[in-house]
Amino acid sequence: MALSTYIVQFAPEWTLLIGACVTLLVGLVGGPRRVTWASSAALMTVLAALGFTMVNDPPDGSFASLGLWLTPLSHYARWLTLGLGAVIILVNWSQPDPGECGEYMAMILFSLLGVLITASANDWVVLFLALELVSIPTYVLVALSQSDARSSEAGIKYFFLGALAAAVLAYGVSFVYGSTGTTAIHRIGGGVGVSTLAGGAELSGYALTGLLLVLGGLCFKIAAVPSHVYAPDVYEGAASPVSGLLGFVPKFAGFVALLKIMAALQWQLPVSLQWLLWVLAAATMTAGNVLALLQKNMKRTLAYSSIAHTGYMLIALLVGPVTGEGPMRDGVSAMLFYIAVYGAMNLGAFALLAAFRTESGSVETLDDLAGVAARSPTAAFAFAVCIFSLMGFPPTAGFLGKLYIFGSAFSVPGDHSFHRPLIALAILGVVNSAMAAAYYLRIVAAAYWGRERAAPIPTGGTPVRWGLALCAIPLLVLFARPLGLTAPARMAAASVNPMSPGSSTSKLTHGPATTRDRFVAEGALVPAPISELRSGSD
Amino acid sequence: MLSNWILTLVIVSPLAGIVTLLVPRCEQHGAIRGLALWSTFATLALSIVAVALFCSQRGAEGSTAGYALTQHLPWMDSGTGKEGPAIDISFRVGVDGISVWLLVLTAMLMPLAVWSSFSGIRHRVREYYVLLLLLHTSLLGVFCATDLLLFYVFFEFTLVPLFFLIGIWGGPDRRRAAARFFIYTLCGSVLTFAGVIYLSYLSFTQTGAVTLRMETLTRLGQDGLIPYAVQWWLFLAFAAGFAIKVPLFPFHTWLPLAHTEAPTAGSVILAGVLLKLGTYGFCRLSVPMFPEAAYALAPLFSTLAIVGILYASLSAWVQTDVKKLVAYSSVSHLGFCMLGLFSLKVAGVSGSVLYMVNHGLSTGALFLLVGFIYERYHTRDIEKVGGLARTMPWLAFFLVFFTLSSIGLPGLNGFVGEFLVLLGTSTSGLTIDQRPAGPLGFGYAIPAALGIILGAVYMLWMCQRILFGPLKEPAHTPDTSTGLTPDLSRREIAIVAPLALACVVLGVYPKPVLESFESAIAANVLPAESSLRQASGSLGRDGNPAKVGARWQSRTRQSRTRIGPVGDRQMALSAPWP
Repeated sequence: MALSTYIVQFAPEWTLLIGACVTLLVGLVGGPRRVTWASSAALMTVLAALGFTMVNDPPDGSFASLGLWLTPLSHYARWLTLGLGAVIILVNWSQPDPGECGEYMAMILFSLLGVLITASANDWVVLFLALELVSIPTYVLVALSQSDARSSEAGIKYFFLGALAAAVLAYGVSFVYGSTGTTAIHRIGGGVGVSTLAGGAELSGYALTGLLLVLGGLCFKIAAVPSHVYAPDVYEGAASPVSGLLGFVPKFAGFVALLKIMAALQWQLPVSLQWLLWVLAAATMTAGNVLALLQKNMKRTLAYSSIAHTGYMLIALLVGPVTGEGPMRDGVSAMLFYIAVYGAMNLGAFALLAAFRTESGSVETLDDLAGVAARSPTAAFAFAVCIFSLMGFPPTAGFLGKLYIFGSAFSVPGDHSFHRPLIALAILGVVNSAMAAAYYLRIVAAAYWGRERAAPIPTGGTPVRWGLALCAIPLLVLFARPLGLTAPARMAAASVNPMSPGSSTSKLTHGPATTRDRFVAEGALVPAPISELRSGSD
Repeated sequence: MLSNWILTLVIVSPLAGIVTLLVPRCEQHGAIRGLALWSTFATLALSIVAVALFCSQRGAEGSTAGYALTQHLPWMDSGTGKEGPAIDISFRVGVDGISVWLLVLTAMLMPLAVWSSFSGIRHRVREYYVLLLLLHTSLLGVFCATDLLLFYVFFEFTLVPLFFLIGIWGGPDRRRAAARFFIYTLCGSVLTFAGVIYLSYLSFTQTGAVTLRMETLTRLGQDGLIPYAVQWWLFLAFAAGFAIKVPLFPFHTWLPLAHTEAPTAGSVILAGVLLKLGTYGFCRLSVPMFPEAAYALAPLFSTLAIVGILYASLSAWVQTDVKKLVAYSSVSHLGFCMLGLFSLKVAGVSGSVLYMVNHGLSTGALFLLVGFIYERYHTRDIEKVGGLARTMPWLAFFLVFFTLSSIGLPGLNGFVGEFLVLLGTSTSGLTIDQRPAGPLGFGYAIPAALGIILGAVYMLWMCQRILFGPLKEPAHTPDTSTGLTPDLSRREIAIVAPLALACVVLGVYPKPVLESFESAIAANVLPAESSLRQASGSLGRDGNPAKVGARWQSRTRQSRTRIGPVGDRQMALSAPWP
């Protein structure tokens, strides 16, 4: 393949790599405005990469020698990561210490690069390396973000637990390699990939062990039970803008990796693994919400809330794909929709914490937040939009996210073996979101009801405020026009499915088969003769 | 053209008002208040236009089925078959003979609530009116929505502005009240959310599209395409949200606290409109969509309603806080609404809907009057004030007037609603005109009637203690420092007078409103009963009571062959089910 193809197809990745190196150098150039220079360089890099992503057609092509496979999922991951990455840089704009600004911004860019490669990886080793490329810069960022002992402690904790998770992941990959004899995830020929893993009951013991270990390693990335314990400490120790990054970047990479593994299994999980995921989802959301209720520190609360949101997304992962369907019934596109919305709303919440400081330090507790609404109503409004979106309240995109996830869980057909467990899980999720409202409400209430005497002081300048606005506005716009995100999510989700050709997904195809013929035109609904339901009613 | 857009205009007009509120500077309280008031008046004018268009459209069509003034804008629609089954969830609005009057009630109460806040709200003025207008939009939206998800969105969103209204401008215990109100109601409505999602799946299996259009869902329920067991669960899921909102005993515990702590306008809207969202939800969604479950669960819900009537009356009797007393009277009155609704007869349901309107008028006015007293005397304690009739004759007149309206004096509006509810309840178990028997009977009407007596006792006693006897005023009151007059000012009289006028009109000549209710109920709430009535000749004339229940159970099967009068022409559903 010609070199130019590599350059054109991977233009966003190259841009990020080169831009990160340039940003490192920019940080070395002295001058009083070096932080602004480094941040601007990083922002330009991300925007350029985003531009290349938009200009390129949705990519499609295998690069077997690199272990990469460009699919619509990679495209979705690219523009989502880079779009939110730009906002992340805005929120982090003035956070770094002048002496470290180049490294700080370069680390963000490297981490984003890792997500992009994860989304294109078609090789276990590349996948592992890409995931570590996501994580390692974040360890540095946590430690760099503040100059107190707490952030160093958080960085150390995060690093050691992350290293453990990486070891587990690598160990799992070695088992999978041992059972399949190849590191490729899919063998690709003629644009169609054939999974190297057999699905369902044919999975060998070695491969199953490997997959369990891989899943264990990925639980750390997505902050799922039982590997969630690091999250509150790390989020608390890191500066707020970095916590906002941690909520999205590693989690998104982890979920993309999970999607790839599920696709490799052709969405045919052994029953034991299905139940394991079920328990993980239930435990993650419940533990996240219950523990969040007990927190006093707002960053810890948001950390536990991010754990709970992982639980919701695991529900959608368990539902799996229904090709070509919208997110109301397709678990994968529901999940892709949700993680985009989650990234924005979570980042917005942290952006407000970054945009203010108290007399003594950063905004951490509910009391510190008191009176924000009186001091700057617009910022408080944007913050309220983000929090209500996290709560899953209309009119925000968070509501639609919940609607899609629970809708996909409810619409698993009655003859599917996981019909009832999934409905139970969705109801548990609904109850959980009511429970979550209690602590989100406390946060909003603190911002609006608090005394005005010691209101927090604005800090961080205009870029942080822009970041906050860029998180909140899409949440409102997407509520009115969800198609803007559901359509790309559906395309990306469809590409996860063809990775596993054959009739493997027919078990999950929902509803009557000839539905399309029956749907005549808008409003003119001709009902289907469902004899078994009718006989049940008599 | 206008008739399609008018409801959207009504819903959006408060939002336009919010935009104008952002123009004046923070200190210009007078300008902000004025703009808010004019914005609500504009909404009222638009909603009156909507009623006129509704009447003319109904007159032109000569039909009462379905919704009028409908509008359909895309929201979540995707694909029309090419890329798989479509999602057909969109911005659909429309009104029928029930919702149009509740819409007017909302549009009428809101300007009064805004106007009554002129003297009481002194800080964070702009935020206050922005939140009131947001609340206005969501309430108008609930009554106009004909897509279940849109309904749920508006229904749920009402919590947000009220949470802030109670939490920022409420009484001393406002924060606890706001949080309890929010969480309590949310806990119920998330279960409703689960029910809504499940219904969307069900509609997909039946129609091939994920649709939450209320007409389609009602058709599914009426034609027996929702299995009984599923109906049962869905009814309970919907009831979880609605019963807390109503509030039905024993889920009423959030209400007294929220009512007491809310600012006057908040209490007025809470009692006047917000509680109706629960009964409206039962009436619009639960009963027509899950008819068999409604029939089976009616005795349970009616019993709870009656317990609520009596318990809340007894509680109201012993209150010393006058706002709390009115709050408990709301619980009691809403029990009547629920009772009439679950008679599942046209008379009872139309009584129930009329009761919703009446309660909005009279209890809204009572909260306003209590607010006027509070602004002058800074107390809500009945023991601390007395003999106010001597110094405040206008207040005394209106308080007595609305008390009488509230306890159902013949000639005022309360009587008509109460009478119809009890009529519907007591005749529910009978077969009249070959209509199938409903689930209730005399046994339910008797304790409910006792509740009316109790209502008269506590309301009149409250009047007596506040208005008559020796003059009692706390020290340094009445407080006229904020520009209030000792008796009601002209502004305050202008606020309550329209409500009084409406009470008289509805009490003397309720016929046009009732006819509108009855035709809408026959078409949209209890179509099975009405289709049986129209086809009573073909049912045969057996008066055997033992067969009555069985006939109700089987009515869905019979109605399947008689879809014509029930269905909506636009839906092209006139063909019988296969």
